[in-house]
Amino acid sequence: MSEITLGARRPVIVRRRRWRIPGAAIPYLFLAPATLWYAAFLVYPMLQSLYVSFFDWDGLSPSMTFVGLENYINIFAVDDVARLALWNNILWTLGALVLPTLFGLLLALALNRRAPASTLFRTIFYSPAVLPLVAVGLIWAWMYNPHFGVVNVTLKAVGLRSWANGWLSDYTMALPATFVTFIWSHVGFPMIFYLAGLQAISKEYYEAATIDGANAFQRFRHVTMPGLAETHVIVLSLAVINGFKVFDLVYTMTYGGPGRSTQVLGTWMYFQTFQYYHAGYGSALAWVIAAIVLVIAIPYIRRMSRG
Amino acid sequence: MMSDVRRQRRLEQTVIFLGLLALSLIWLTPFATVVLSAIRGQGDLLARGVFSLPKKIAWGNFAEAWSTGDFSIYFRNSLLLIAMKVPLGIFIAALAAYPLAKLRFRFSGAIFIFFLAGLAVPVQVTLQPLLVMMKQLGIANSLFALVPPYVAFGLPFQIFVLRGFFRLIPSELLEAARLDGASEWTAFLRVMLPLSVPALATLCIIDVLATWNEFLIALVLISAKESRTVPVGLLQFQGEYSSQYTLLMAGILISIVPVIAIFIFLQRYFVAGLTAGAVKG
Repeated sequence: MSEITLGARRPVIVRRRRWRIPGAAIPYLFLAPATLWYAAFLVYPMLQSLYVSFFDWDGLSPSMTFVGLENYINIFAVDDVARLALWNNILWTLGALVLPTLFGLLLALALNRRAPASTLFRTIFYSPAVLPLVAVGLIWAWMYNPHFGVVNVTLKAVGLRSWANGWLSDYTMALPATFVTFIWSHVGFPMIFYLAGLQAISKEYYEAATIDGANAFQRFRHVTMPGLAETHVIVLSLAVINGFKVFDLVYTMTYGGPGRSTQVLGTWMYFQTFQYYHAGYGSALAWVIAAIVLVIAIPYIRRMSRG
Repeated sequence: MMSDVRRQRRLEQTVIFLGLLALSLIWLTPFATVVLSAIRGQGDLLARGVFSLPKKIAWGNFAEAWSTGDFSIYFRNSLLLIAMKVPLGIFIAALAAYPLAKLRFRFSGAIFIFFLAGLAVPVQVTLQPLLVMMKQLGIANSLFALVPPYVAFGLPFQIFVLRGFFRLIPSELLEAARLDGASEWTAFLRVMLPLSVPALATLCIIDVLATWNEFLIALVLISAKESRTVPVGLLQFQGEYSSQYTLLMAGILISIVPVIAIFIFLQRYFVAGLTAGAVKG
């Protein structure tokens, strides 16, 4: 507290510069700490990982064997699990593009009117998004518990006993069940983005459309949707980016199982690198994720760099 | 005619309200499940089911989970990490955002895109080299190993938000300080930062939550119990007590109460920050 008072009392003008920094260098000096940090702990490891991906290496021993593109070829031609993981990522991402996005848009449209308790609803639908995904995964694993979990208990209570399922231990249901958890925890993101987007659309457009005799659907089609074009880019890009990065939920809920049926690239890379000590192969898997995400993110990054 | 329209609108609003109400009850079910499972004895839970009210409230579960799960270690670590990471990261992000927003220089556009691209970099692509690096630096397995990657992965978003905010601050204020003889550094420290407190505070809240929740980097870089953060510790706890449902749910509740409290009390700042720059204002 005393420091702040002292600082405020001392007039800015009195402080004299002892030495001059050439004006042209100043922006770069401001940028230096962030750039060096980012280069050392994000860019460098990334390039190092690219380098490692061309080797056969356990990640520990000093000897590395250069294998060229073999790791990448194995991902697509030899390793069935890697291809399953890629397919699971694609399914997950397609689901993420449609379901949470659609729910988020509908919720935003419903909450954008001055409805009673809309702030409370917004809080409720967004709240799962602030939880650690490990906790989310464990909560839902308990809900999916075959004997005592809420899901099966409810199904039995409403006479749908035959729908009761092992969920996370079931080969066909494990991934969809995990994805339902994803919807629960992530619907808040598209919702708040669409709410912000809706609020930026001028009321005058709606008034003009109404005067011209547009009905509710036409107003949505010709005013709301074009007004949300920018928001769509953000929301859909984030859905794809996060769809390929998915790790926490799968790791905590199914650990890639049963069998390897719910492996995604993110978890398979983790298992290969840190459990089976195939650092070279794991790095190649990581780079497949990175390459997909970086390419898909181009319109998003361009959108963010404007304005 | 008019009353018809009004009546239809009221009907529409009622239907939407009831739909939202039903959906929000579904959305709250997982929270209710955790609470109803955490505050009773295991026998009571298994015999009478999650949806029944507990016979007797077992507050002791929380104390037991806290001590058997070693949550005091994990809480201390997560809080220490937040204290190290959040101010450092946001300060160097602010330093970088300042020239990107307010100064003209060569390559400013390219440098900005260089940082923005980090928004799309998956953590996985840095993990193995980071582990090697931390071993070489002798800080693998310590909390300090998490600070470098956490700060690095936080920078893109923080620089993006702060640059956007700084641009809204009138350049005349900086010009006035410069005319008074202030250096660029003083203008940044005494004019820009004080005027940006709302944005800085928002980023702090978002960053505190993100740091509290981060799992994958902590999982890879830390294996020693003494250095575990809350998510890694919680998963460990689950591994050891996976069939003690009431204890496990008490542990989960303990580890999510801080983020829920922060969210409920500070959500106004939080949500605005997340969508910052996403929409033309």
